[in-house]
Amino acid sequence: MDKKLSQLKHGETGVIVSIQALTMHHRHHRRHGWGFQRRLEDMGLTPGTKVVVVKSAPFHGPIEIHVRGSRLAIGRGMAERILVSVEK
Amino acid sequence: MKKDKIVIGLAGNANVGKSVIFNHLTGLHQHIGNWPGKTVEKAEGTLHFKGHTIDVVDLPGIYSLSTFSIEELISREYIAVENPDLVINVVDASVLERNLFFTLQLVELETPIVVALNQMDMAKKKGIKIDQEKLEKILGAPVVPTVATSRAGIYELMQTSVDVVEKGVGKPTKIRYGEEVETRIRKLSEVVSKLQLPYPARWVAIKLLEEDEQIEQRIRQLDPKIVSVARKLAEEIEGIHGHSCSTVITSERYEIAGRVAREVQEIVPPTRLPMRERLHALTTHRILGYPVMVGVILSVFFGIFSFGDYTSQLLGAVFENFYSAYEGVFGTGMLATLVWGGIIEGLIAGITIALPYLIPFYLVLYFLEDSGYLSRIAFLMDNLMHKVGLHGKAFIPAMLGFGCNVPACLGCRIMETERERFLAIFVVTLVPCAATSVIILGLVGAYVGFEWALLLYVIDLLIIFVLGRIAFKVLPGESTGLIMEMHDYRTPHLKTVVAQAWFRLKEFIVMAFPLIIAGSFIIKLIDIVGLLKPIANILSPVTFVWLGLPAITGITLIFGVLRKELTLLTLLMLFETEFGTTDFANVPGFGSVQMIVFTLVAMLYIPCVATIAALVKEQGWRRALFITVFEIGFAIFVGGIAYRILTLTGM
Repeated sequence: MDKKLSQLKHGETGVIVSIQALTMHHRHHRRHGWGFQRRLEDMGLTPGTKVVVVKSAPFHGPIEIHVRGSRLAIGRGMAERILVSVEK
Repeated sequence: MKKDKIVIGLAGNANVGKSVIFNHLTGLHQHIGNWPGKTVEKAEGTLHFKGHTIDVVDLPGIYSLSTFSIEELISREYIAVENPDLVINVVDASVLERNLFFTLQLVELETPIVVALNQMDMAKKKGIKIDQEKLEKILGAPVVPTVATSRAGIYELMQTSVDVVEKGVGKPTKIRYGEEVETRIRKLSEVVSKLQLPYPARWVAIKLLEEDEQIEQRIRQLDPKIVSVARKLAEEIEGIHGHSCSTVITSERYEIAGRVAREVQEIVPPTRLPMRERLHALTTHRILGYPVMVGVILSVFFGIFSFGDYTSQLLGAVFENFYSAYEGVFGTGMLATLVWGGIIEGLIAGITIALPYLIPFYLVLYFLEDSGYLSRIAFLMDNLMHKVGLHGKAFIPAMLGFGCNVPACLGCRIMETERERFLAIFVVTLVPCAATSVIILGLVGAYVGFEWALLLYVIDLLIIFVLGRIAFKVLPGESTGLIMEMHDYRTPHLKTVVAQAWFRLKEFIVMAFPLIIAGSFIIKLIDIVGLLKPIANILSPVTFVWLGLPAITGITLIFGVLRKELTLLTLLMLFETEFGTTDFANVPGFGSVQMIVFTLVAMLYIPCVATIAALVKEQGWRRALFITVFEIGFAIFVGGIAYRILTLTGM
């Protein structure tokens, strides 16, 4: 089942399916949203990567994830654009 | 081959102990500056090792060699174009996979590398064992295990590096992608190799497939056909994989990094939850994290400002004695006054700001950063900072701004892109600093009422919020969310912290002192030649007509450029000569409304000269001027509006 990374509960694991780079707002700029996607990928969040959600900061703050043996903090807005599949 | 001079670049992820190694290597022989035309710090140093003179360039800590950030671009251009004899890749052994991703990109740039497998102690604590020889074989580059904080392996690292430069160990192994990608890389690099480029052909081919903007631009100038061929090949790969070609290549690179990491390391995680993990859990806890943070920030503040205040006054007293001696020798003639008031007082202002506040500030900042706590604060405060279009990391400079805007501006370096840096600096200069608080509390708080002082703070925060949002919307470019590594907590290496603080301080003094001195000289000169009054009269349409203030406030606002609390002190002095009173309550034409308007203007109207110096240093003349002019205009605008509202409501 595919979910947004931001919807995962604490302790849940997901595998990245895709990153939604382009928003309606930015569609007329070809390059817009690319930097965002590339940056996430450069940090190791590529399709097929396993991600464990550790916790999230309150008031819709960022979430803490474990990925590729390291610990990342990722803003809520970015996490909302990462699609993951959750194994049941 | 014996080379007289060897140039070595230090490259690696952020927080891997690169700067500790850099400090071990270069000691006091280092120089901090900026990369030409950029606001990115460049640290260079020299060392002598077995008869060689070695120049070491500390490259910014980055995760990739794409062109997302200026740091990445700078590092890439440096390695490819300036072609150092060797790049030492500092790798965090406890986070091997992520670090190897970067190593693989260095390998692709075909530059000779030596890998410093650093933080071996941390890896050991995490139960990670690394087969160093195997890693060497896979990468085709020497690997030297180090524990930089205790200097272990540093000698071997230099020995190996010099050996590599002298004897050469051949180019590192090529990394191979999947066949469908490889065939296209080969096809493209054949075409590219006919061009005259400072980069390796295979690397250019890969970058073209990744649609790297900067490389595409370069190639387009030489042969636009190649770019369209590359785009077509990239589309083919996209067709096969269902992801963009750059995604495919990055994925595969990470897969290789992961495979290598798994092959060379054995992990037996410790059974007990270690202290650093518990500390992490506490400091990022959704409830407990906040009181801890408030506690830390308050004690930092209290520490810095009580130390600063005390030392500042002590220094002030010393200089005062010095002044009597000066007066005794040189008298009170015009020249003597000009030299004292213009040059020496400017110097004193610089010293009483730089030494008492900046030294502890830098020490604490680098201590907290090295330990890893800053990233936890950014984690907790990310959401709040998003309201002004920034993310968590900007919280730290913004907080510092309440003490002094100067370190706050310098602290904006931790932001990643130029856009974020500018936004953060803009917001930070609007934060009321300690000197501004003196005016708010000393004038409005004492004479109008505490609730009005509080209201002014609230208004200031609202203004920051609104202007921050506007700037965020107006500035071109993509907004970037927070994405950062929270590395494991560790004890900072004190010598490195001190060295970092010292070299940054030195750099600030060189930059800011001439400006501060020039500023005070000019104002003193205006004062001595008797132009203050005429200027105040010229300003009176603004001060008197628009703001409804006594015209002499124009003079005090000019003095406030030097240090903001001077607005209040000079106002007091002027009222004394004019009306014979030092009690603001007894001054005719300076009632509650005027006090509030005056404070509001003083609060917003200009960053002081030291802050302007910091702005110039961080953002260049044009942007510094822009911020200064904008804030003057804005302060006058808001002040006038406030005057009208206050009189209309019948205060």
